[in-house]
Amino acid sequence: MAAVDDAQQPDSRLSKTNRERLVSAGRHAALLVWSFVVLFPLYWIVSMSLKPPTAAISLPPDWIFLPTVYNYIQLLQQSSFVYAFFNSVFMVSASVILVLLIGVPAAYVLSRYDIPKQRDVLVWILSSRMLPPVAVIIPFFVIFRALNLYDTRIGMIFMYITINISLVVWVMKAFFDGIPETLEEAARVDGATRFQAFRKVILPAAKPGIFSVAIISFIFAWIELLFSLVLTNNNAVTVTMQVYQFIGVRQIEWGMLAAATTATIIPVVIFVIAVNRYLAAGLSFGVVIKE
Amino acid sequence: MSTPTQTTSQGPSGLARLRELWNAYLPYWFITPMVLVMLLITIFPGAYDLYLSLVKYQLTDPTTIGQFNGLANYERVFTSGGAINSFVITITFVAGALALETGIGFVLAALVTGVKSDRMKTFYRIAFIIPMAVAPVSLATIGRIMLNTEIGIIPFLIQQFTPFVAPNFLSDVPLLTVILVDTWNWTPFMFIIFYAGMSSVPKTLLEASKVDGAPLWRRYVHVIIPYMKPVLFVAILIRLIDLFRTFGLVFSLTSGGPGTATELVSINIFQTGFTFVDLGGAAAIAIVYLVGIVALCNILIIKVGFEGVWD
Repeated sequence: MAAVDDAQQPDSRLSKTNRERLVSAGRHAALLVWSFVVLFPLYWIVSMSLKPPTAAISLPPDWIFLPTVYNYIQLLQQSSFVYAFFNSVFMVSASVILVLLIGVPAAYVLSRYDIPKQRDVLVWILSSRMLPPVAVIIPFFVIFRALNLYDTRIGMIFMYITINISLVVWVMKAFFDGIPETLEEAARVDGATRFQAFRKVILPAAKPGIFSVAIISFIFAWIELLFSLVLTNNNAVTVTMQVYQFIGVRQIEWGMLAAATTATIIPVVIFVIAVNRYLAAGLSFGVVIKE
Repeated sequence: MSTPTQTTSQGPSGLARLRELWNAYLPYWFITPMVLVMLLITIFPGAYDLYLSLVKYQLTDPTTIGQFNGLANYERVFTSGGAINSFVITITFVAGALALETGIGFVLAALVTGVKSDRMKTFYRIAFIIPMAVAPVSLATIGRIMLNTEIGIIPFLIQQFTPFVAPNFLSDVPLLTVILVDTWNWTPFMFIIFYAGMSSVPKTLLEASKVDGAPLWRRYVHVIIPYMKPVLFVAILIRLIDLFRTFGLVFSLTSGGPGTATELVSINIFQTGFTFVDLGGAAAIAIVYLVGIVALCNILIIKVGFEGVWD
């Protein structure tokens, strides 16, 4: 009697509230297990970075310990790491500003004007994301060496733009599509030029979208390793490249490796937590605009 | 908008004329930089890869660089190198990680959507997106530390609290390990999009199906999933594209090893081009990889995306 397995049956063993409680407990149990899976590795690396060298690798672990900043002081004495950290901050920020300056106006045009074969243009733009970075890097490796852009910040900023331009155009087009055209028509009637209407009326209305793509572009550029591996040597080295080099050289200095790893993670984690409401729109290429 | 000094010396009329030109052709000014950048980052690398794949370009042999080589590069890398093997490994990796991330991401989104307490809901939502902020190379160091056979906490806990012998994750089950680590890193991407998509399912639709007495799985199959189709499609498409781009995580966790057990195509291309400095051979593999991915994604976009999702 398969049809009788209904919660509404009067002779069902569990009353409705008990059943709901059980479902809720199961739900929280599953979610807490995943929370542990997600948070434990982060707890582990942070706590390791705060332990003195011997305690860092002792098993069974010292669950309770006196935190020390020893590893961070060691890390700060590595001038190459500090340099690479701020280098990354600068190059990634510059690339985000540039990619917005290039991508946001273009997205506005794609949203408001009749472009021939618009659908093909959009797929073409998305296709830049499909090209594997390792395939793109070979030509740029050759060209950068010829143009003296190898190991320069300008070269790296350009490469970061390539990974984010499609995201910015797609997401911002979706945002502009959601802003009624009557807004700028009203501004034009009031005597604003096309550019003024865009800058004073449309851009402020699209702020959440701009915010969202700026953050996500920042993250995607910040976590990138391949470009630095191939295109930098000293000057334009990134923080991810430094961590990568630590893996090889610092296998024994676990505490400092943990401190370096923590230093690359924490700023971005804080970032992501602060803007979590804006992430979905950007990550889904504009398909979900509101949460 | 900067104005050249010559124009300013002509007085306000020159400036006004410039402003007029700026506004009259605004759409063109707006779209041209993007088109130039796009040409530079799609047509140029594709064409240059194609050129490199057809000439000799081994930095160890500078005198022959640029000589036309026919299809010899393709023949060399696909008969003697590990290129074919790396395609098989990549497909396994992408399929495994995509299935896990989609499945876990969807279940988590469904579970969190049903949470009654707002505070717990916020806690889960924020906790679950954190892994995305961890750079692949940083995650690789965490993996190397936690999975290490001597100092790793995970093998230790397995030995202590389960009857099993802990495997050496990075040498006994390397491909499974990189799939699981990638799942940890990128399930948040799926979760956050699915969660946002689920929140947009109208309450009335859900309540109507509840009144019908439809069992839970039926509500998902007949109401929620069809409603979320565009969201599901886009999340899976973007994640598929990004999985094919995977490099940093696997490169810094296993360097493609042990042997070639986790040698993705991207690692194979990197090693052919930059370790063995054979750019011609690397370009040949890159062309095959690139054409395959672009073709697959375009078929998905045209067949699925434009026929039922975006229309």
